[in-house]
Amino acid sequence: MPTKKQNENFETEASFNDIVEKNKNENIENKVVISHLKKSFGKLEVLKDINLEVKKGEVVVVIGPSGSGKSTMLRCINRLEEPTGGKIFVDNVEMTGKKVKINKQRENIGMVFQQFNLFANKSVLDNIMLAPLDRKKMSKDEARKTALDLLKRIGLEDKANAFPSELSGGQQQRVAIVRALAMNPDIMLFDEPTSALDPEMVGEVLNVMKELAAAGMTMIVVTHEMGFAREVADRVIFMSDGYIVEEGAPKDVFDNPQEQRTKDFLNCIL
Amino acid sequence: MDFARMFQNATPYILSGVKLCIEISALSLLIGVVLGLITCMFRLSKVRILRIIAEIYVWIIRGTPMLVQAMIIYFGIPQLVNLTRDPSEEKFVFTAFVAGTITLSLNAGAYMSEIFRSGIQAVPKGQSEAARSLGMTKFGTMRKIVIPQAFKIVIPSLVNQFIITIKDSSILSFIGLAEIVNEAKQYVGATYQYFETYIFAALCYLAITSVLMIISRYIEKRLKYANKETK
Repeated sequence: MPTKKQNENFETEASFNDIVEKNKNENIENKVVISHLKKSFGKLEVLKDINLEVKKGEVVVVIGPSGSGKSTMLRCINRLEEPTGGKIFVDNVEMTGKKVKINKQRENIGMVFQQFNLFANKSVLDNIMLAPLDRKKMSKDEARKTALDLLKRIGLEDKANAFPSELSGGQQQRVAIVRALAMNPDIMLFDEPTSALDPEMVGEVLNVMKELAAAGMTMIVVTHEMGFAREVADRVIFMSDGYIVEEGAPKDVFDNPQEQRTKDFLNCIL
Repeated sequence: MDFARMFQNATPYILSGVKLCIEISALSLLIGVVLGLITCMFRLSKVRILRIIAEIYVWIIRGTPMLVQAMIIYFGIPQLVNLTRDPSEEKFVFTAFVAGTITLSLNAGAYMSEIFRSGIQAVPKGQSEAARSLGMTKFGTMRKIVIPQAFKIVIPSLVNQFIITIKDSSILSFIGLAEIVNEAKQYVGATYQYFETYIFAALCYLAITSVLMIISRYIEKRLKYANKETK
């Protein structure tokens, strides 16, 4: 069981402790299990043989050169991409199984995208309320209350009625994070959440993610933010050419990489 | 040239034609929008047979003149299935209005399905991925996220199609529908005032389509204000 990071380590205004406490499936030790995952796009084999276990409350940061399959692996977990082979279990349910209720499973797996993907035709508040109303059959008052509460935690309650296009990139991404949290997920997937942001906005998004990690959320984060990986990750995964080449605690992977490919990559970016 | 005399005598006929033109166009566009949406869903469906049905439908309608379609539907089909046109009989009355509505709807539907398809494909993929990642169904995602955004994109082409349908209703004069052109033709037959009467008919179409253009411009402006494009 990985140690929960202390809240005091981060300069945070709010915390997501109560959200994570409300999580279901408390007793499941391994939140995500990936075994022999393969994925090809036509003739291009992107994932060759991926094996990974993510424990409850663990923050796993995935790094690697572009084209190494990081995002594809993440998108296979909630089946935005259909795996070509292997198995994926989330909360002991086989996501790749024939009978899986995929929509029900996805309610439990929040995802944050590189391009934010806030619904352009809906206000910030409606963005957050949509899925709870549609999937959880929450009452309108309840959904609104939850949404406003979440917005307050990220300091954007005054933007509730704004449209996504009126927000900065950093604000949009923070809203995207709480939109996923509104479904009270057990697991959060982050697909390069800061790559499309102007440099001065990266910090505000990372801070929200740090709070979430501190609250004990199970997170898989694909990112190029090595500082974040070092500070927040329980485990760093280095991917290259469709394989997990190296994994371990951040300080081991960053300060004492074993594999040549990891060394080359770290030399390029650090 | 005697516009005054023409106005005085032709106005009641032409106006009844205008009324009919608006009625049949509005009804056909309504059916056409529904038909277009269904056809569009068929074309984007994973089920191959649905895609083929939709493609054949659009292929036939696009590839044949509407005049010929109207002739087949109005004159041909009653022969085939023995429909009656005599109102005194108690069977279904297959009037020019019914045949005309079918023709116009089929045409509007085929073209609109293409418009809707391009609109749906223009909505960024990330929008539906985000909705699906939250657990929304395919249908719910379409209805709440993709179609509203696609609708905004297609308004200009959709209005264009509305205008084409209104103008195309004039072709139905060939199957005897008493719309603007037919009324004008009858008046001309009695008075030989070709120029004045047809100018009047043209102005009627211009008036109807202009109203439509003004409404669409207003809607576009409102939507632009309420929901700016995402950068």
